[in-house]
Amino acid sequence: MTGDHEILELLTKAVEDGDEEAAARVASEAVAAGVDPQRAILRGLVPGMAELGRLYEEGACFVPELLVGAEALYAGLDVLRPLISVSAEESRGNGVVVIGAVQGDVHDIGKNLVKMMLEVAGFDVHDLGRDVEMERFIEESKRLDADLLCLSALMTTTMVAMKDYMARFQEELPRTKIIIGGAPLSQHLADQWGADGYGENAMEAARVAERLVGVSG
Amino acid sequence: MRVIDGGEAVGLAAVDLPACRYQPRWSGRPDSPEGTEVKRDNMSTRERWEALVRGDELDRVPCLQFILGHTAVVNGRPIAKIYDDAGASFACQRRAMEMYGYDGLILHGWANAGGAEFGGDVEYPYRPYTGAPMVTRSPVQSEQDAWDLRVPDEIASVGTIPVSLEFSRLQFEAGMPCTIQVGSPLTWAGSVCGEERLMRWLIKKPDLVHHVLRVVTDFILKKAELWVLEFGPERIMAFDLCIETNRLYSPSQFETFAFPYLSEVHDKLTAMGVAIFLSHICGEQNRNLPLWSQLSFGRRGMVSVGREIGLSAASAAFPSQVIMGNVDPVAIQEGTPEDALALCKACVTEGKDHPGGFALMSGCEIPPLAPPVNVFQMVKACREAGWY
Repeated sequence: MTGDHEILELLTKAVEDGDEEAAARVASEAVAAGVDPQRAILRGLVPGMAELGRLYEEGACFVPELLVGAEALYAGLDVLRPLISVSAEESRGNGVVVIGAVQGDVHDIGKNLVKMMLEVAGFDVHDLGRDVEMERFIEESKRLDADLLCLSALMTTTMVAMKDYMARFQEELPRTKIIIGGAPLSQHLADQWGADGYGENAMEAARVAERLVGVSG
Repeated sequence: MRVIDGGEAVGLAAVDLPACRYQPRWSGRPDSPEGTEVKRDNMSTRERWEALVRGDELDRVPCLQFILGHTAVVNGRPIAKIYDDAGASFACQRRAMEMYGYDGLILHGWANAGGAEFGGDVEYPYRPYTGAPMVTRSPVQSEQDAWDLRVPDEIASVGTIPVSLEFSRLQFEAGMPCTIQVGSPLTWAGSVCGEERLMRWLIKKPDLVHHVLRVVTDFILKKAELWVLEFGPERIMAFDLCIETNRLYSPSQFETFAFPYLSEVHDKLTAMGVAIFLSHICGEQNRNLPLWSQLSFGRRGMVSVGREIGLSAASAAFPSQVIMGNVDPVAIQEGTPEDALALCKACVTEGKDHPGGFALMSGCEIPPLAPPVNVFQMVKACREAGWY
């Protein structure tokens, strides 16, 4: 019988290696061995993704590795999450996030990585996808009573949509904190447009999100 | 005088250039809001472009523009016309060039090339906030789709080729270089497969990625043959839009999956007689520069870099090629006219003495809704700070 500690390490390694099959298999073994599913996620899967994120920020791993790591993470989560019963209040986790790429932008790799890192950080994330119209962001944020709204734009040709969105969101969603990100954007633009935060990459976006809702990273 | 063979290679008429340096003429009145006197040009835009390509002496730093959708906006036309209507696109780009007084570029293409050519769905930017074509459904959705990918027998009618061909015919008739988008194959493959799917396969199915890259590269070469047959190689300017930034791909992934195919395209087009290559190195690619610098650029290379690559780094990597850059397009979109001018003049000052030749250009496409006055500031910066 594999011990708890060893199972958790194997989960971490499966994510770091981007090994989807191993992540699902070890997650099942963890359940069979009586490891608390919440613990398997937080002490097994999440550290693997956190390590990949750290390596990305150091320039030692790149988006393809993050993407296959995320696949492994989700394969493990698919096994473990259904076994965790949570109350409605608990399901909000560290906060409810609505996320999407703005209208006219169909590039969503960065947005998907931010979504994944926010989930790893314990947020309840609602992904509206790409090419999302302003009104849809507003409707969903109101419906979900979102704590955070994350907007992504990759292109210089699409970033101006974000500026217009910001002006409306400040009127319609006064309680919701807004984080923006994407290749042409910067902290300077976030300040200029009135966003509450800017994430240079997915890891930074998650840290900014934690700061904005008042939880430690 | 610097003379680099290749001027005639783009089919441009020879120009008699005096051996002495051009001297600026003064307008004689303080016509700038900054109170400065704007010097008048001594070369036409065409003369300046030709001299830049040939490596001849210039009156001042040329201003080239990476500008597509914006030219439709200033002409009062839908942005989509730049992409789906060759005649309208050519007319809008020429009018904008005349209005602003920049020295080029006029071309047809966009970052997501390849998606339409292999049967995917493309939406042209008619809706609000859309600024460039988008691949809404990539042609490859599964591993089997990727293995089944083939170069069509007849490519003149697929995807955007008919519009691009028609655009090049207009360039030919106007005596301009006929532009053809040829790279990079990895960027094209991202449109063909979907970028996220392709990136996963890079790790898990590298053989499949190489298969896709082989097919895409063969398509690009076949496309080039089409252009060479119709226009002659000496009239062609091949261009790449390459998004393999080090924010996405590692240098070793660039070396394995991007460089060999890009290099093949450049080598084979050079062998066909194509003389001029224009490569836009999009985003942060500093760690890819050692490989970029090994590429063949025919008789004249023109390398466009973004704000993430310093002009000194670009100059060191490409000592004998024209460097174009590296004004931050966000500053053109969001900055004040004064800030935009200051930024552009700083770029001009930093780049103007590059031995291979320098042109001021934005580091990526000018946002379509950029304030026109800021676009003009780029030309003005060349006129104020770019004199040789």
